[in-house]
Amino acid sequence: MSKPKIALYWCASCGGCEESVVDLAEDILQVAEAVDIVFWPVALDFKYEDIEKMADGEITATLINGAIRLDNQEHAAKLLRKKSRLIIAHGSCAHLGGVVGLANFYERRDILNRAYKEVPTVKNPQGILPEIKTKESGRELNLSGFHKTVKTLDQVIEVDYYLPGCPPTPELIKNAILAILNDELPPKGSVLAEKKALCNTCSRRESKPDKVRIKEFKRLYEIQWDATRCFLDQGIICFGPATRGGCEERCIKANMPCRGCFGPTDNVRDQGAKFLSALASIIDSKDEKELEKIADSIPDPAGLFYRYSLASSILRGKIGTV
Amino acid sequence: MAERIGVFVCECGPNIKEAIDLDTVVTFAQGLKNVVMVKSFNLLCSEAGKKLIEENITKNNLTRVVIAACSPREHEHTFKKVLSNAGLNPYLLQLVNIREQCAWVIKNKTLATEKAKAMIQAAVERVIHHEPLESKDLECQMDALVVGAGIAGISAALTLAQKNRKVYLVEKSPVIGGKVALYEKVFPTLECASCVLDPVLDKVLHNEQIELLTLSEIQEVLGFFGNFIVKVKKNARCVDTKTCIGCGACFEVCPAKVKNEYNEGLDERRAIYIPYAGALPNVAVIDREHCLHFQTEGCNACQNTCPFSSINYEENDEVQELRVGAIVLATGFDVFDPKRAPRYGYGKIDNVYTSLEFERLLNSNGPTGGKILLKNGQPPKKIALIHCVGSRTREYNEYCSGICCMYSLKFAHMVNEQLPDSSISEFYSDFCLPGKESQGFFNNLLDKNGIEFVRVKDLDSIKFSEKKGKILIQYKTINPPSSTLLKGGKRGLQDKNIPETLKSDPFDMVVLSVAIEAAKDAQDLARIFDIPQGKDGFFTEEHTELSPASTIKEGIFIAGCAQGPKDVQSTVTQGQAAAGNILSRLIHGEKLVLEAITATVDEDLCSGCKICIGLCPYKAITYNSPESPHTPLWKRGAEGDFEGDKGGFSDKKENLATINEVLCRGCGICAAACPSGAIKAKHFTDKQIFAEIEGLLNTNYAKTSKMSLRGTG
Amino acid sequence: MTKQSHHSEIASPSVRNDKEGCFRKGNKAIMSSFEPKIIGFLCNWCSYEGADSCGRARKEYPSNFVVIRVMCSGRIDPQFILEAFKDGADGVMILGCHPGDCHYKEGNFNALRRYTLLKKMLKQFGIEEDRVKLDWVSASEGDKFVRVVSEMVEKVRVMGPLMLIQKKQLKNHREHRGNL
Repeated sequence: MSKPKIALYWCASCGGCEESVVDLAEDILQVAEAVDIVFWPVALDFKYEDIEKMADGEITATLINGAIRLDNQEHAAKLLRKKSRLIIAHGSCAHLGGVVGLANFYERRDILNRAYKEVPTVKNPQGILPEIKTKESGRELNLSGFHKTVKTLDQVIEVDYYLPGCPPTPELIKNAILAILNDELPPKGSVLAEKKALCNTCSRRESKPDKVRIKEFKRLYEIQWDATRCFLDQGIICFGPATRGGCEERCIKANMPCRGCFGPTDNVRDQGAKFLSALASIIDSKDEKELEKIADSIPDPAGLFYRYSLASSILRGKIGTV
Repeated sequence: MAERIGVFVCECGPNIKEAIDLDTVVTFAQGLKNVVMVKSFNLLCSEAGKKLIEENITKNNLTRVVIAACSPREHEHTFKKVLSNAGLNPYLLQLVNIREQCAWVIKNKTLATEKAKAMIQAAVERVIHHEPLESKDLECQMDALVVGAGIAGISAALTLAQKNRKVYLVEKSPVIGGKVALYEKVFPTLECASCVLDPVLDKVLHNEQIELLTLSEIQEVLGFFGNFIVKVKKNARCVDTKTCIGCGACFEVCPAKVKNEYNEGLDERRAIYIPYAGALPNVAVIDREHCLHFQTEGCNACQNTCPFSSINYEENDEVQELRVGAIVLATGFDVFDPKRAPRYGYGKIDNVYTSLEFERLLNSNGPTGGKILLKNGQPPKKIALIHCVGSRTREYNEYCSGICCMYSLKFAHMVNEQLPDSSISEFYSDFCLPGKESQGFFNNLLDKNGIEFVRVKDLDSIKFSEKKGKILIQYKTINPPSSTLLKGGKRGLQDKNIPETLKSDPFDMVVLSVAIEAAKDAQDLARIFDIPQGKDGFFTEEHTELSPASTIKEGIFIAGCAQGPKDVQSTVTQGQAAAGNILSRLIHGEKLVLEAITATVDEDLCSGCKICIGLCPYKAITYNSPESPHTPLWKRGAEGDFEGDKGGFSDKKENLATINEVLCRGCGICAAACPSGAIKAKHFTDKQIFAEIEGLLNTNYAKTSKMSLRGTG
Repeated sequence: MTKQSHHSEIASPSVRNDKEGCFRKGNKAIMSSFEPKIIGFLCNWCSYEGADSCGRARKEYPSNFVVIRVMCSGRIDPQFILEAFKDGADGVMILGCHPGDCHYKEGNFNALRRYTLLKKMLKQFGIEEDRVKLDWVSASEGDKFVRVVSEMVEKVRVMGPLMLIQKKQLKNHREHRGNL
């Protein structure tokens, strides 16, 4: 019996999800023994054409990380969809758009101008911007087209499962692969992590009073923080209540408040809006002016609330850019 | 299986028919997904209309109904009944308000038609997500608890006491009647207070439905409307109420003397005592704090003397548990302590009394037998009555206590009657004389000799000083002076050269009309009953105009001065109102019907983040962690004690938020705030509202008028 | 390959209504009559009844305004407001009871808190603050209802339509994800 085939691919990403796979450490040998990795550009030397030659559905499961911004990423995603039985959106960028998705607050033109002309370290006196087709020294060069917006993986192809996190923990990745191998997967469309929000497993929950009220938002550096007390109770914004659990609270344990990378729980359509609602509801004020002042103390609410989920949110990004 | 939606469009006579093109609307509705039938009719709320709907539900096997007609606030209940009659759950209905919010407010027929179409599409898309809902009902206790046996509590208790309903009347003092029992006369009739009160007190004592618990205090309240569990501590009287006839033999031999708080400390009583002559119940009580038997030596003087062997030193305090359906708090008031304002010299200068002390001086069962006497035993010749002591001032209480002007006038009447040669001066700033009788009451005084009214510019300017055993009042007058001068007075209206600050003539006695304040134990009571207090300490009513006798805590009502200063008539009215509220909800033989549109927590999604816990205005959400100090109210009662509990109203769950369906009023604040989407607001779920939004906007109504900038690259 | 073969001037998202009532895109004047769509979330006890009272008194207001009834303004989830914009609303109103009068005591304060924060955030999405409006309308304030609704319609009319093209282009593959 041939081993099940697994592929991994990366789109608009940072490489962190790949590193998380490597972080399986010894367990990776276990995985390598059980499966045939047939495509993993960052680590192995398989070619695109190898995939094109395969039969449809020949690959048991493909983990695709990163968001979709370039033509070639979309193309690869669609190809892998064809050749794979299961597609797993691996990591926040593929799942929700991730930090990469924040680019949806800017127009494509502005992004290109900034990257190629305005960044202080760039030397581009002629102001050349990338083109899809250029002629250089008698040869035609092709570059992948740069999309108008960042898209999540499931806005481009059908996705079977989601591995959330920035990056997903090695444990979650391992469990996902084992689940695939043992055919013990939950219903299609499931997110392969906890069902409940982070507070459920957070050790600081018991320190939270039954009535949490915030008079003023604080930054970590502004207070003498208590490493055992709930962040919200100290006035520090923690995304935990609105974020799916399963990450073992690595950030909390390192005394950093949650930033929401696992995305929302099942019943929520828009993580940012829901957390905004929850946070606003516990502000300790009924006065319009005072509320404005407290709202103004958050300089970048959109960035705060949609740090990982902008591309998958209801509005997806700035009006006009999307 | 796909839903089968029936759409009924009402012409409402000419109202809708002439404003909206109903043919277009009907055709449009027929084209909507899941709609299997559309009918328009002249008047859907008529008998014929209702029959039409009912028949069509059955004939077409409808699973959902949309009715486009008048406002749901008008006929939702009508049409819900139609669905029930046809065997369909009444919540599988969505009304479309094409009359009040469409036909009647848009003159242009085309525009009105377009809007109606969008509204109907919204309803069709929403109703698919409706779920059948049941109104749960709850077995409940008929009995009621009234806390406080003053005139407010008594009025409530007497109204509530019926066959099949018991009333527990809990009073912390040994006697009933409250403050009114301390007065000699009541305004505006100037009737003798005990003549008015005693028959009522008698009724209470002899009413078989009322169980009176004197010397009792509430310790704990658990549960919710229909099912309260109340712990009452009954302090031992040490005198058998069944055998004691109040002969008083025991007082005479008691060696211990205590300042009598019922006479405002003006005289003394014994450690075994009856508060005042005529007190009801007419049974002695032992004040164990001062009784020598309990303090040091085993004094048995009273027990040895009692001809009826009524005294029992061994009687213990008891804790009793009461099961009641509703509670009335009628715990009364205390008065402003003028020691807080040293300028009145109260407690330092002799013969300065509070109004409550003066009431006792006037009362024939008081320390002076009803004679107005100075400390030296002589009757006063000049008496001043100072209004607004502690009221209407930023310094102490900003509100007006509402009754002081009237009782000050009452005092003037009574002093004038008892001491016709005395002179009385009322120092006031404004006169509060509302209602039918008050102005007349004032006018009657104008015909009497020896009463003058001195208008003071600034009540806070009043200062007392003592001179040769008399009291001098310094005050700012209104310039030119407007003191009404009556026959035989000293100051004339024509005097122009009077300085602003005046010093009065010396007075023998001054009575301070002290403010009515929240009872000293109001805060403890508010905590025990979990009801809000206003900034002045009075219990807050549920709605100032519409629900003045209830609190936001369902099942707990308030009456009398515990809710705010008021006179006897208003107090009685409010006591009866509180009782009326209870009588109309807790009906014998009927179960309490609960709100069907409540919120529920999905235990599979709730992470215990506690964001919702403090948001509910009705405290319906609690957190059930075993370590939490806030154990839910119904925790003890839920252990299988109530039949209604089987429905899971109050299942205890660990580390989760739980919503008590009895207390939940369906506002949905929690559902909007829940960051996990774990709270579902029934009948206004996220799914339903999203569908309604999409239905409203994904129509031509929204699209055609929009410009498209696509293809402009 | 793709439509984005050349990086041409992307139309500015905010389209201004000039003096002649035309829309200008670049230098081209496009004749049109823009009818804004305003969604109003009204609470059952105050503002919805206020709207009904307009109907009973036959007080007209623009047909651009459509209502979604909730029991309390505190029920309004910011997700609803975003969804309304995404589905084509040009403006959103939240009308609740006056502070202190909320049928459920505190619901309207929750609406105020969420709205204050949301309004600020929407600016970053390119949605002007004036496109979301919270106001208090009691059951007897039919005239106020007409006034605030009419003012909102006119204000949004001047601001122009909220251009959300993406919803038409993007096929949603996520229907099976979760319950929504």
